[in-house]
Amino acid sequence: MTSKVAIAPAPGLDVVVTPVRGRVVKSAWARDLLTFLMVVGPGLIVMVADNDAGAVSTYSQAGAQYGAHLLWIVLLLLPVTYFIQEMVVRLGIATGQGHAAMIYQRFGKWWGLFSLVDLELVNFLTLVTEFAAIDLALNKLGVDPRIGVPLSAVGLMIIVLTASYRRWERIVVFLCSLDLAWFAIALWLRPPAHDLLRGSLPGIPEGGITAPLMFLVIAIVGTTVAPWQLFFQQSCIADKRLRFADVKWARLDTLLGACITISVAACMMIAGNASRLHGFTFSDPAQMAVDIGTFGGGAMRSLILLMMINAAVLGTTAISLSSAWAYGEVRGWPHSLQLPVRKAPGFYIVYALSVAAAAGIVLIPRAPLQLIILGVQVLAGVMLPSAIIFLQLLLNDKELLGEYANRPWNNFVNWTIIVVLFALSLILAAQVALPNFFPSA
Amino acid sequence: MATIANTMDLENIKKNHFVVIHPLDDLPEEKVDTEALGPMPMTRTVKISLLSLRAYLILMVLMVFYHVVDLAGAFAKHMH
Repeated sequence: MTSKVAIAPAPGLDVVVTPVRGRVVKSAWARDLLTFLMVVGPGLIVMVADNDAGAVSTYSQAGAQYGAHLLWIVLLLLPVTYFIQEMVVRLGIATGQGHAAMIYQRFGKWWGLFSLVDLELVNFLTLVTEFAAIDLALNKLGVDPRIGVPLSAVGLMIIVLTASYRRWERIVVFLCSLDLAWFAIALWLRPPAHDLLRGSLPGIPEGGITAPLMFLVIAIVGTTVAPWQLFFQQSCIADKRLRFADVKWARLDTLLGACITISVAACMMIAGNASRLHGFTFSDPAQMAVDIGTFGGGAMRSLILLMMINAAVLGTTAISLSSAWAYGEVRGWPHSLQLPVRKAPGFYIVYALSVAAAAGIVLIPRAPLQLIILGVQVLAGVMLPSAIIFLQLLLNDKELLGEYANRPWNNFVNWTIIVVLFALSLILAAQVALPNFFPSA
Repeated sequence: MATIANTMDLENIKKNHFVVIHPLDDLPEEKVDTEALGPMPMTRTVKISLLSLRAYLILMVLMVFYHVVDLAGAFAKHMH
């Protein structure tokens, strides 16, 4: 492979206005590898960022309460999350536009605004949970959150203000790579292999179906497949200007991200389980890190706390961007990370306001942060089926997608997912309306 | 075939060599003109289903809110 810069035409275009820059490689495998490396990003980021602060909390709680018994649910969510995001890949590449723009244009103004309000509401509450996690982790690290939280918010603003999609993507992919430290944490904790094997097979934990179990299952689903992911990845693909030829690499990017996010989720569950096996009970992951530190040492404690902050930072940048992109698409404002602030002020203001307001709320003393975290995951789980229905309708729009529209097997898989998600949200409704519907323990 | 600014560079690329272009360095691709398509045609049944979905969603959001407030112990305080 050489680093030579060549001038070459874009494939499939008859008229060219400006030359393009490319790299020359000598073999087909190098071409494929380099193309993948150029395309990778949106899928990886959306999936890894999905393991945000709320996810750390939910998975570790699942491990703490049920050991590895719920591992099979997480594994089952791997194809679910991939299938849903793969549809977004096709939609984004075929239209070159974001998800909010698609809903607005194809379903009309009213539906577009309603979807936007839904998204902005859940996104904002989720952002509060991200900063809540940063606050908790900084506290345990001995850093004053009144200094650390605002500094994190400023850092999160700086990474998008460079007017370069590529610069933002490189920084975020680097942060995603740090998430691999969860594998080291899980390996060090030496989870019992037979527990993991047994947990990988479908089964109900001891105690049967209880209200806390159902609430946790819905929270797991809500944190693994969240509505903001649909909006984020499609807008990200549009901003990166992925081409039709990139579809297979974008799918691979999404699959890679899905595999990493599910594996990391399992590692978080293992950490929660390890804490339980040593007789600890915790109310938040920062406390879990402190508990694990008592038998794992100070380095392990600090590593888990830093991973918690990293998860929150990744979640914040992705969720805030999904809000900013969606708002810009619906309002018709310029909305690209490639644009400087003076050319897309609305886009950057929405991003900055989302980050600043969420950070500000967290600094309010005695806010019930753990409750907000759990509530948001459940809310996301409840809102997801309707978001997927819009996606499903768009993916069956042959006028819009042509050959990229859903095939019958796609529809079968997606309707199955929608039915299961609706069933879970109905269970939640039953649990809330009839508190004795499931035993409490 | 595209017009290019400097054909010499392209000629310098040997046979069996490949050019890989980053999406952001490439020329914009022609996509579906979604604005020209206008709103998606929907039957009355689909419209009613979507409205029902919206009502269901609003109800569920209120229930989750109630549940979270209940978990926070807000209603227990009033009971006492």
